[in-house]
Amino acid sequence: MRELNIEALARVEGDGGITVTLDGKKVKSVTLDVHEGPRLIEQLVRGMTPEDDLNVIPRICAICTLSHRYAAIRGLEKALGITPPEKAQLTRELMMLGENVESNSLHTFLLALPDFLGYPSAIAMLNDYGDDVKRALRLKKFGNHVMEVTSGRIVHGENPVVGGFGKYPSRKKLDEIKLKTHELIPDAVRDVELFASLTYPEYPEAETLFMSVNAPKNKFGFAGDTILISNGKEVSAEDYKKLTQERVVPHSFAKRSKYQDKPFTVGANARLINMGKRLDGQAKDLFKEHYSDRWLRNPLYNNLAQAIEMLWSLEQLPEACDKVAALDDPKIEPPARQNGSGTGAVEAPRGTLYHHYEIKDGLVDVADIITPTAQNLDDIELHMKLTAERMLGDGKSDPEVRLGLEMVARAYDPCISCATHLVRLKRI
Amino acid sequence: MHKLRDTPGETEEDLKAALEAVVGQGRVYVLGLGNTDRADDGAGVLIAQALMKPFPAYSFSEHEGAEGTVLDISEKDEQAAVLFIDAADLHESPGTIRVVKKENIRDTEITTHRVAVALMASLLEKTGKRAAVICIQPKTIEFRGKVSKEVRSASRRLETVLRELMASRNAK
Repeated sequence: MRELNIEALARVEGDGGITVTLDGKKVKSVTLDVHEGPRLIEQLVRGMTPEDDLNVIPRICAICTLSHRYAAIRGLEKALGITPPEKAQLTRELMMLGENVESNSLHTFLLALPDFLGYPSAIAMLNDYGDDVKRALRLKKFGNHVMEVTSGRIVHGENPVVGGFGKYPSRKKLDEIKLKTHELIPDAVRDVELFASLTYPEYPEAETLFMSVNAPKNKFGFAGDTILISNGKEVSAEDYKKLTQERVVPHSFAKRSKYQDKPFTVGANARLINMGKRLDGQAKDLFKEHYSDRWLRNPLYNNLAQAIEMLWSLEQLPEACDKVAALDDPKIEPPARQNGSGTGAVEAPRGTLYHHYEIKDGLVDVADIITPTAQNLDDIELHMKLTAERMLGDGKSDPEVRLGLEMVARAYDPCISCATHLVRLKRI
Repeated sequence: MHKLRDTPGETEEDLKAALEAVVGQGRVYVLGLGNTDRADDGAGVLIAQALMKPFPAYSFSEHEGAEGTVLDISEKDEQAAVLFIDAADLHESPGTIRVVKKENIRDTEITTHRVAVALMASLLEKTGKRAAVICIQPKTIEFRGKVSKEVRSASRRLETVLRELMASRNAK
């Protein structure tokens, strides 16, 4: 038996492990082991008011903080019979555009790109790709700024609340965002071209299913009440349990999801595969130019999808700012009832996020949260297993196999506190 | 908190000398890192916030976005140094302060949630700026805990030294 260890799968968030057990060149099994302890947040919020719940829930994640907040708000508003004012809805869309730019710029450039260019980290890239790293940081800073203007803070902003916003962004701030957006769009176009020029290895390729929300009005977007599946089906978000079929596995603290007993993908590539025809602007043109049917098989294309999506988000910002600025600040909409249930589905940067609530006498009775990385875990295992089999079959060295596996895991932009921290190849 | 190799900085005079050695002749910026919800872990942010009033253009905290702040400084056409301040487990008595030069920063991990200090320091170096991390040994990082007496005292001492340094280097 021989073991090949990657002591730390860098450039992902969280602590976990991957064990690949090999018998000769045959891969016996791949397990993705999540070691991070359960945080029990769903139990923690039971008995809380919706307002208190919103103070706790976004703490699940400091980068998807607004996605968690938005998903919770959507679920709670459905449960409480609240129809949010138009300006609240538009400001929420604006904040999600900011979060998308912030997260996608960080993942594509600083976490994924070094693998493709043959560097151990973004730090090592600085000498040769200093301008690209600075461009990524500039985009990330801008995404953070949009999040701050809309939510009140860079991380864990408190302005978005059930029924509306505590405070809306000023016209001056919105005008500043518009101005800056125009400066940054050419940067985002360059980023798409860079990711389109990369070579995407074929090793992980396999058919899978893709899920995303169906944004309303036949537009591309980051929230919706139904879920699109790449097999052509559309399912209500309220039926999220049928879509995710959560189960517990012995080697991981994170639950797993399968749809009709098969793994599936959520994330930017799923969004573009399901809704890419709805893109507009340069993002539409570049998607059309660079999309191929390999996207349907190869998770590494999630990196290119994130770059295109980031461009789309930037292109939407000026109009989104104008729409928000054109409306007067409405009052916060009060609950219409004290008992009910509802599911909020939004597209966090790394995939579909569900928050389901049951409210009893005005308090949280049941909370159920399903994160995108938990949905992706089985799919990551599927593509990693194929990568290991094919690379070993091609006589690749251990370091090459190790990098191949890391690239697959990182392509999903996992957040375990969502995925892996140790890859082990165990030979028997 | 950062992992680090140790460098001297025992007394106030030592600290002043160590800081003067790393910042060179240019302007001095301070960037406080840490989590103020976790007692001593937030010392860097608290010191930076205290310095914001006298030096609003030169003192920043992680709350304003660390990498964006560093990017802006890196693009300034001036001689400058950035001092990151953070709590760090030095395996020393609580309140111990150490100055870690750029080449000894070991926090190189970039994750979904955070850009590494080493990347920010390398970016500064590439644009001709200097960088160092001032580390403070915490006593407690208890969630919602209070800053310990030792770290409060060390923070005051560090703030005094930085005030003097920034006043002398950042005057128009």
